[in-house]
Amino acid sequence: MIRLENVTRLFDNVAAVDGFSLEVDQGEVCVLIGPSGCGKTTTLRLINRLVEPTSGTILVNGRDVSRTKAEVLRRSIGYAIQSVGLFPHMTVGANIGVVPGLLGWGKERISARVNELLELVGLEPRQYAPKYVSQLSGGEAQRVGVARALAADPPILLMDEPFGAVDPLTRQRLQVQFLRIQRKLKKTIILVTHDLDEAIRLADRIAVMQSGRLVQHDSPERILASPANKFVHDFVGVDRALKRLSRISVEEFIRPTPSVTTSATREELSAAIGGHRSVWVVDGDGRPIGWIDRASLRDPGQLNDITVRADPAEMYVTGSDTLHGALSRMLGLGFKSLPAVDDNGRLIGEITLGDIEKATARGENMDHV
Amino acid sequence: MFKRQGRRWIVLAVLTAVFVILLFQMGWWEAALRTIFSRDDVLYPTASLIALVGEHMKLVALSSGLTVLIGVPLGIWVTRRSGQSFLPIVTDLTSLGQTFPPVAVLALAVPLFGFGLVPTVIALFLYGLLPVVRNTVAGLASVSRETLEVAYGMGMGRLQALMLVELPLAVRVILAGVRISVIINVGTAMIGAVIGAGGLGSPIIAGLVQFNTAYVIEGALPAAVIAILLDRFLGNIEKSLAFSPGERNG
Ligand SMILES: Nc1ncnc2c1ncn2[C@@H]1O[C@H](COP(=O)(O)OP(=O)(O)O)[C@@H](O)[C@H]1O
Ligand SMILES: [Mg+2]
Repeated sequence: MIRLENVTRLFDNVAAVDGFSLEVDQGEVCVLIGPSGCGKTTTLRLINRLVEPTSGTILVNGRDVSRTKAEVLRRSIGYAIQSVGLFPHMTVGANIGVVPGLLGWGKERISARVNELLELVGLEPRQYAPKYVSQLSGGEAQRVGVARALAADPPILLMDEPFGAVDPLTRQRLQVQFLRIQRKLKKTIILVTHDLDEAIRLADRIAVMQSGRLVQHDSPERILASPANKFVHDFVGVDRALKRLSRISVEEFIRPTPSVTTSATREELSAAIGGHRSVWVVDGDGRPIGWIDRASLRDPGQLNDITVRADPAEMYVTGSDTLHGALSRMLGLGFKSLPAVDDNGRLIGEITLGDIEKATARGENMDHV
Repeated sequence: MFKRQGRRWIVLAVLTAVFVILLFQMGWWEAALRTIFSRDDVLYPTASLIALVGEHMKLVALSSGLTVLIGVPLGIWVTRRSGQSFLPIVTDLTSLGQTFPPVAVLALAVPLFGFGLVPTVIALFLYGLLPVVRNTVAGLASVSRETLEVAYGMGMGRLQALMLVELPLAVRVILAGVRISVIINVGTAMIGAVIGAGGLGSPIIAGLVQFNTAYVIEGALPAAVIAILLDRFLGNIEKSLAFSPGERNG
């Protein structure tokens, strides 16, 4: 789908991109990563011809990009960049409608498309379309940026640190949403980041760059397990095992767990707790509100009184969380297990430290594959 | 958000209407000036006030129109690739246009264009060009490189990027330049009277020559009001083009 063949670009006789070859398949997310100044942005801009190569060839769909008129090429490639990308003098709706407008779509069609895209990125169309960029939060602006890049339904997206300018929590949400959207749309995406965790979460394959050169192009698992050289090894860092956990969703590690409500009888409580050290307590709707320790069984008080209460939002995990997220929450709270809930916040099981340890061990073995 | 906007325009319309009505009330002017200056010949006899204002506005409109029509494209051109190398010389020449006294321009223009309207308009045009060109250049330069890159990256051509992104982002700064230029012109157009182009400068010069302060007031006061009204008018346009919601909501 996208192919760079031995591409070099000099700026003042210094190579920003140096003999770079890369192939990205249809529907694949390729994450370009490397230290600042290694040529990531230049590589993206070579593809949509904002920068022309000094030598080498770039093919999109088998066709040399230099043979397509730059404007026409660019309208068929979605482009999203960090922070400054949105036009401040246009509403959100107008921003998203720019490329369709350039392509000559009618008004009705554009506004229908704007609504569709705002919904896709989780922003209420009637509320957000008339807003100006200065009225958006950082996270909202980035979502609009993604919506705008998708506006004319281009098969290819180039994204230059699209989640760069937001706080870590928002960034994580945007990443989850990105993956959800990508599963649905199956675009061919080249995404630039300097955040390894982001690369590991989002990439089908990661291309590691150093001084304009490609040093390794592989799946995240392989990059973590067997770095091609010392540069990649140092770049992925010593916490490789931990990083690998952010590739794994908690979903398959959720195990069923008993629970009680505060109106349960003593017999029901004993049965539920069985051989465990504690049991989750849920409210009438099945949402976790705390737990009861085995030690409290001897306490003759009401169940309501012996329940240790906790803020559910702080402790539960959902299917879309990663093992990495679950582990850091466990360590933060000092728990050995966390309740897992469905979309409605109802308890569906739990995830335990032991299971995460096993998953880590499984990954370690991959080093020797 | 339109309520505030509407109120600004209504206030301006009422003020303008009051001003125009007053212009026709020569009797009131005469009475008022007589009580202040305690003499009989308080009104410039050669032309009615409304005619003087008409001539004055004609000078301002022609010269400012010319300034915008030439200044804005000039400012755009010197920020394009094709005109970039002319940026320094255009900046220097327009600065010269403003530092060169308009009276001197008149003196030089008269032998070429004769007396009357044409040399006056030319002098005013040259004098007012600097703020328009300078602000056009500054406004366009204030559009960040990244914003432009995104415009091109989305597939806009150069003209589209100019019309859809650069000018809308620069329009307030450009208009601020136009406003300055127009206000300067209202004052400077007084010199038209020196070479027979008429306008509110006529009673002022007559007043100076004949030591009749009432004439001077008759010319200066309406000119000041015109300057204020035009300033408000252009200010309102500027505000209505504000895209940032904070400013728009007031
Ligand atoms: N338009 C340009 N003119 C001159 N040098 C440039 C230009 N664009 C990029 N460079 C240089 O090329 C190198 C790579 O830049 P870039 O691709 O932006 O890196 P990255 O996105 O990985 O941080 C840097 O040394 C940068 O200074
Ligand atoms: Mg970059």
